[in-house]
Amino acid sequence: MRSKEELFKSLVAEHQEMVINTCYRFVFNREDAEDLAQDVFVEIFRSLDQFREEAKLSTWIYRIAVTKSLDHLRRMKRKKRFSSLKRMIGVSDPSEDIAAPLNDNPAEKLAGSERLSILQHALNALPESQKTAFLLSKQEGYSNQEIADILKTSVSAVESLVHRAKKNLHDKLYSYYKEH
Amino acid sequence: MFLTYLSSHIMKQEPMMKKHNEIIESEIGETMKLLDEMRPLEVHHLFRVRLMERVEREFGEGAGLAGGRMGNRLDFRLAFMVLLLVVNLGSAIVSLVDGNQQIASTVSELLDGQDDEYNSQEFAYYDQNSLTGAEGTQTP
Repeated sequence: MRSKEELFKSLVAEHQEMVINTCYRFVFNREDAEDLAQDVFVEIFRSLDQFREEAKLSTWIYRIAVTKSLDHLRRMKRKKRFSSLKRMIGVSDPSEDIAAPLNDNPAEKLAGSERLSILQHALNALPESQKTAFLLSKQEGYSNQEIADILKTSVSAVESLVHRAKKNLHDKLYSYYKEH
Repeated sequence: MFLTYLSSHIMKQEPMMKKHNEIIESEIGETMKLLDEMRPLEVHHLFRVRLMERVEREFGEGAGLAGGRMGNRLDFRLAFMVLLLVVNLGSAIVSLVDGNQQIASTVSELLDGQDDEYNSQEFAYYDQNSLTGAEGTQTP
């Protein structure tokens, strides 16, 4: 039992930075990224006994981080849809109208939150596999082989996903800026 | 004449379109650059403390972590077994009560039927005869 705890502590120490930053790439928000990283490590602790050494431990951990982040985005999408529906029928929660505080994202400071939200919106419109491959490829520390392992696919498929994601993202941004 | 006008109009429009496209492309470039400029986050110094607190809270204390989980699992199993037992007993009692009512009604129906049969005219006649016969044999 002790060894499990020790192993867990060493895993947290080794991978916390990568896990938090992986989540951050998906959610663009420090608080959410830290909350998600906590969920990831709790899940890891829960299922550490079930880990089969078919994949590398790090791959398994980052796969959980990706899954949790995608789940979070899906939840947010659902919440957004539900709140717009509530607004349509005239039942709205006043707490939803309070603007989220600006976070300490350097990119946000640099270019303003509007550009960031445009990017986030365009990214969220991508298919999940494309978005995952693209965002992981943008993060330092992930090789194409590792991304392929996380997505359980081949390196060539990852390359194709990243290429298509770039093109789709460009098209979405193009149509946005053409209209505005 | 018209063709010349059209071609000059297109010629005038083309640079404007090109410029517009250039602006859009530069906007896209600026937006995409945000991803490259995202610096990695530094982990909050309390992150690990908070995490370990949460793990302690959710899974029990220290060496008892796995034991606690086992206990929880057993509790669930036990609760499920008790639930199954209660459902089984409940259904058995219901079917038993229903069966008893049916048996009681069948028995009462049978008894009623027998009463009817043995109180019918034929039996009454034989009874009477046997009674009169018996009386006759008794009297000398």
